[in-house]
Amino acid sequence: MSFNDKLVTIQGLSVEFYTEEGIARVVQDVSFNIERGQCYALVGESGCGKSVTALSIMRLIPDPPGRVTAGTVYFNGRDIYKLSEKQMRRIRGKEVSMIFQEPMTSLNPVYTVGDQVVEAIMLHQKKSYDQAWVDAAEMLRKVGIADPEQRAGEYPHQMSGGMRQRVMIAMAMSCRPDLLIADEPTTALDVTTQAQILDLLDSVKDQTNTSILLITHDLGVVAERADKVAVMYASRIVEKADSDDLFAEPLHPYTRGLLDSLPKLSQRPKRLVTIPGMVPEPLSFPSGCKFHPRCPLGSDDER
Amino acid sequence: MPNKQTPKSQWGISYGELVWREFVKNRLSVIAGMFIIFLFIVAIFAPFIANDKPYVVEIEGQRYFPLFRHLGAIDYGVLLAGVVAVVQLILIRRNKKRVDPSERGEVLLKQIMISAGVIVVGLVLLYLFVPRRLDATNYHAMVESGRAENAVFAPIPYGYARTNLSVREQPPSRRHLLGTDDVGSDVLARLIHGSRISLSVGFVAVGISVVIGVVIGAVLGYFGGRVDFVGMRFIEIMMAIPQFFLIITVVAFFPRSLLNIMIIIGITSWTMDARFIRAEFFKLREQDFVQAAHAQGIGLRSILFRHMLPNGVAPVLVNATFGIAGAIFIEAALSFLGFGVAPPTPSWGQMLSLGVTTTGRFLWWLSVFPGLAIFFTVLAYNLVGEGLRDAIDPKLRKAA
Repeated sequence: MSFNDKLVTIQGLSVEFYTEEGIARVVQDVSFNIERGQCYALVGESGCGKSVTALSIMRLIPDPPGRVTAGTVYFNGRDIYKLSEKQMRRIRGKEVSMIFQEPMTSLNPVYTVGDQVVEAIMLHQKKSYDQAWVDAAEMLRKVGIADPEQRAGEYPHQMSGGMRQRVMIAMAMSCRPDLLIADEPTTALDVTTQAQILDLLDSVKDQTNTSILLITHDLGVVAERADKVAVMYASRIVEKADSDDLFAEPLHPYTRGLLDSLPKLSQRPKRLVTIPGMVPEPLSFPSGCKFHPRCPLGSDDER
Repeated sequence: MPNKQTPKSQWGISYGELVWREFVKNRLSVIAGMFIIFLFIVAIFAPFIANDKPYVVEIEGQRYFPLFRHLGAIDYGVLLAGVVAVVQLILIRRNKKRVDPSERGEVLLKQIMISAGVIVVGLVLLYLFVPRRLDATNYHAMVESGRAENAVFAPIPYGYARTNLSVREQPPSRRHLLGTDDVGSDVLARLIHGSRISLSVGFVAVGISVVIGVVIGAVLGYFGGRVDFVGMRFIEIMMAIPQFFLIITVVAFFPRSLLNIMIIIGITSWTMDARFIRAEFFKLREQDFVQAAHAQGIGLRSILFRHMLPNGVAPVLVNATFGIAGAIFIEAALSFLGFGVAPPTPSWGQMLSLGVTTTGRFLWWLSVFPGLAIFFTVLAYNLVGEGLRDAIDPKLRKAA
């Protein structure tokens, strides 16, 4: 594997949030690589640091209160934490873009959806308004919006959630980025729409050789789409594996717990298995292995 | 390309249009709005409505146009601005029918730029090329003595500055519909010309305060933290100073010019706007679409003023209409106390104060008519403000 295959290299990333109650270590010593054309999944429960990790790739951690305290993020061979804000703005949207969990609020309500796609195109490709419109309509057609010329003139509130997420994808993909970060892209959608959106992401990825960083808590989504998986728990990556291996042979007790808690079609229905307890608060992480209070294998020397 | 055959009914409805539809339902506000438009027309055409110079007059067989010759650069400038504004309004209506909504923003921006350019260039040219003429000819006397013939006078044939001591302090009559003041000027003529002062004070002062308030509020609301803490303390200090006394103090040190009064009112009344925008931006900066804009690499200024501001400007717009009413009121009060514009420039507040003479007599027509003008103008702005506030109700906002 040559260095060029690696689009993103994250090494020892730590992010802290300075709050009034104390310092919250939200991400600790996270390292992973994303290769070109790969779908990398970051899995974990709410509040485990998935989204913050993703935001740190775009250098969008709100500062204050957040700060990257250690580690490096290489994107396309550049250490992005050494770039100026201006250079960073040129990367955002052009080389790496992002779609969000909540399609209902991630579009600006006062502009037509067409205008919003056009803005992204005009900003990064230096095209005229008219040209950008042609591109925007084409992009909307690609993400499966019927009659794109007309729908481009509509406002977000006239569209359904799935539609809006398609617009978001069109916007994010309009400049053919190298990496698309999808932060729980289907969580707010109903199941049929979920499948459509995931299929769309897949096909977009294949067409443009864009890598996808898929952030989710849905292992079902991961099993089907991802090439590689990293499982995060309480600010750390606890397991990294190829997606097939992970499902066949989970190593960490937390991963095993997650997989066990999925309902299985092959078994008679019974009470679903759960992992006892709650995700610890970042302000009061347990010592040692952070999973030990909930771990079925827990022994004293992990504390 | 935008599809030109798209049926109109299916085009998107913008937030502005939604608000407009809701606003139109409130009949009282619409009437108030129409009254304000009427006032603007009166203000723009004031020299044509009330003027002691005839439109046309024949003196010794030669035809003159004294009214038009006498108009200054400001009069023509106001006229030009009025015409451009009307053309712009017609264009906006036409845009709704002819231009695809996706392009409307761009087209509108282009049109407004052109309009503003025309006004600015026009004003410069007018100032350069319209000479100041002093024409003290008494055309009424000339007509009466038979030296001038075929004179066509304005509907109210008195200028605001024309004094005539033989008719001073006369109650309303057929010659002077609203009476005359202490130097024999026609009250109606002065009332009509005074509308220019009141309306422009309202607009310019509020314009200044909105710009200051929005910029400060946006910065405080977006950055929060320490910036916000310092900024808010500053705003609180500003708010703790009684505005009217501050204005009186400042006015006492500066020359009594209209521009000074506008600026002073403007820079003392931005605190509410700043607080509104700050509160809105606190809410907006957490919104996903702002995050999305960041993730797209859009610059900070663009995010603040193109993406966040249109979503948070509604309360400021409502406040601005109340602010205009307030500014008109402050100007009237200043003029009433003698700190306003200097005579003979007419101002409603100044006219009001003439009602009580130095000998203590109360000339009711000098107080009642300017008083009513102030009352109805302030009331109209408040009604429009309330109509806007109702139209921008959150329940409607959710739909947008």
